[in-house]
Amino acid sequence: MSALGGKAAGGDGINMTGTIVGIVIILVSIGITAVLGASLIVPLIGIIIGGALIAFGVHFVPVGGAPAAMGQAPGIATGVAMLAAGAGLAGLFGGAWAYETTGDFLISIIGGAVGGGLMMAITCLMVNATYVFAMGIPAASGKIAKDPITGDTFPEYKSQGTEGHGLPFISFVGGVIGGLIAGLGGTIIYIELLDAYSTGLATIMQAEATAIQPLAISLAGIFAIGFFLVNAVLAAYNITGTIEGPHDPKFKRVPRAVIGCAVASAFCGLISLLLVTNIGM
Amino acid sequence: MEEIVLGIGITALAGALATVAGAAEDTESDIGSQGDPNSQVQLAPQMGYIHRIFNKAVSGEPPAYGLWCAIGAGVAWAFLQLNYNPALAIILGSIVAVFIQGIYCTSGYLGRTASLAKFKQPVYIDILKSLTSVTMAHAFVAIFCTTAVCYLMSAALHHPFALPLLGLIWGIALGAAGSASGNPFYGKERQYQNQKFGAGVPISASGNIVRYAEAGQRSSLDNGWFTTKFAGPASGICFGLIVFLELWRTVLFEESLAGWGAVIAGIVLILIFTFIDRWIEVWGRKTYGPYTEPEESSS
Repeated sequence: MSALGGKAAGGDGINMTGTIVGIVIILVSIGITAVLGASLIVPLIGIIIGGALIAFGVHFVPVGGAPAAMGQAPGIATGVAMLAAGAGLAGLFGGAWAYETTGDFLISIIGGAVGGGLMMAITCLMVNATYVFAMGIPAASGKIAKDPITGDTFPEYKSQGTEGHGLPFISFVGGVIGGLIAGLGGTIIYIELLDAYSTGLATIMQAEATAIQPLAISLAGIFAIGFFLVNAVLAAYNITGTIEGPHDPKFKRVPRAVIGCAVASAFCGLISLLLVTNIGM
Repeated sequence: MEEIVLGIGITALAGALATVAGAAEDTESDIGSQGDPNSQVQLAPQMGYIHRIFNKAVSGEPPAYGLWCAIGAGVAWAFLQLNYNPALAIILGSIVAVFIQGIYCTSGYLGRTASLAKFKQPVYIDILKSLTSVTMAHAFVAIFCTTAVCYLMSAALHHPFALPLLGLIWGIALGAAGSASGNPFYGKERQYQNQKFGAGVPISASGNIVRYAEAGQRSSLDNGWFTTKFAGPASGICFGLIVFLELWRTVLFEESLAGWGAVIAGIVLILIFTFIDRWIEVWGRKTYGPYTEPEESSS
């Protein structure tokens, strides 16, 4: 039980009725997209996969919120959705740039992942530097007694009356993995949207593909950021406050977030692809 | 070759600007009490501790700076379309953004403090008058530098995103970096300066923030003075490294190994930071030792 907020409500299980309704929404969204334009199915599936990846990645990021700012709980002292968005968007920046330069899908999505991971690595490093060099507090987890990677023990390093503090190595690794996966998901969504918009807008507006490119890039970028925030916020609701990383018991809730974010991405993806469907209006 | 040399120069300049932006952002958020530690400033009157600390926390730092930098970059972009000089356009964009920040500060302080009326926390008009302009000045530096970084990415390094979009992305990243590095120092080290050094704040002490200075009551300006000693520069280094290395690996290695060069460079950098982090963690454990040890040795 948490000394800060009591036992988190909601449980870790999956609501079967909700899941079935969600799967129906995904199928209906894919069905409507197929009717409007068969070529848009692949981008929509890419968006759904990207959204699920963002949800998965957000759960790895060690976020301590306000208690972490007082050294009362381990993690990074900011909100879940915000930090994940910061890392994922840094990844999106790198991925979009790589796609512009190389035009290669695989290099771009991995480039986006590395961008997100690099941002998280630097941020996590500075968190530990602040705790150790400025505040004199060694890292200690409140959820586990021993670091599964390094074997360091924590209970004797934990200050009295707190749930731990700083970023243990497992949390650092979780943060980097979270940044990698979130950056990967965000870049997949961007590239799928960009491909759909580049061809779709050129057809609808009867213009050269090169002339339409700046508009397509801007629209895809704005929608990708929007998708990122939708999925990061949904995942943050699933986490309810703070999480230490992959070793935290709350990590078991991941399947629920992945399903929820896939459903939200499917519906939002349908809306975003309506821009390039000629529905006779 | 010439293009790469120019790219490295632009990268260095962007990194330097980002460092200044990170430091200014954290100092603004500490003087204005924008980040997570503001939960204690809000909590203190409810526990009976009336104080004179600025209390705004418009939202989390990342979305707040995302908004302000996007406004700054958006207005700058509009002026650039009118063929204004880029430096002037960025300054005008930052001025518009900082006035919006000032409006949020004012309504944030008045709204939050007024909500504490039943706990006898007064609204101090002199605090509003003296500190709002200070936070606006720091926010101007942060927004101007971030918008300038985005302009360099867009105009000199030819990133495909439009300037306002880059403003939103890097504003959010700026807030994330600044709050991650700077918040613990402001929250634990300054607000709870009366607690033991080298230990987290016990949950039972929540709300009992330090309210008195060497002479008279503590002001948020004192907090800014204190946090610029570590949290500001640390946030600056954090954001500066993020911007510099993200650009550096792309500018230098994007063309090599059929595009895989930048990816490999990024992975190597992540591994280097992982080793440094582990070294810091082990150094902290060895230097400070277990929490219970000092009590045993003193008894």
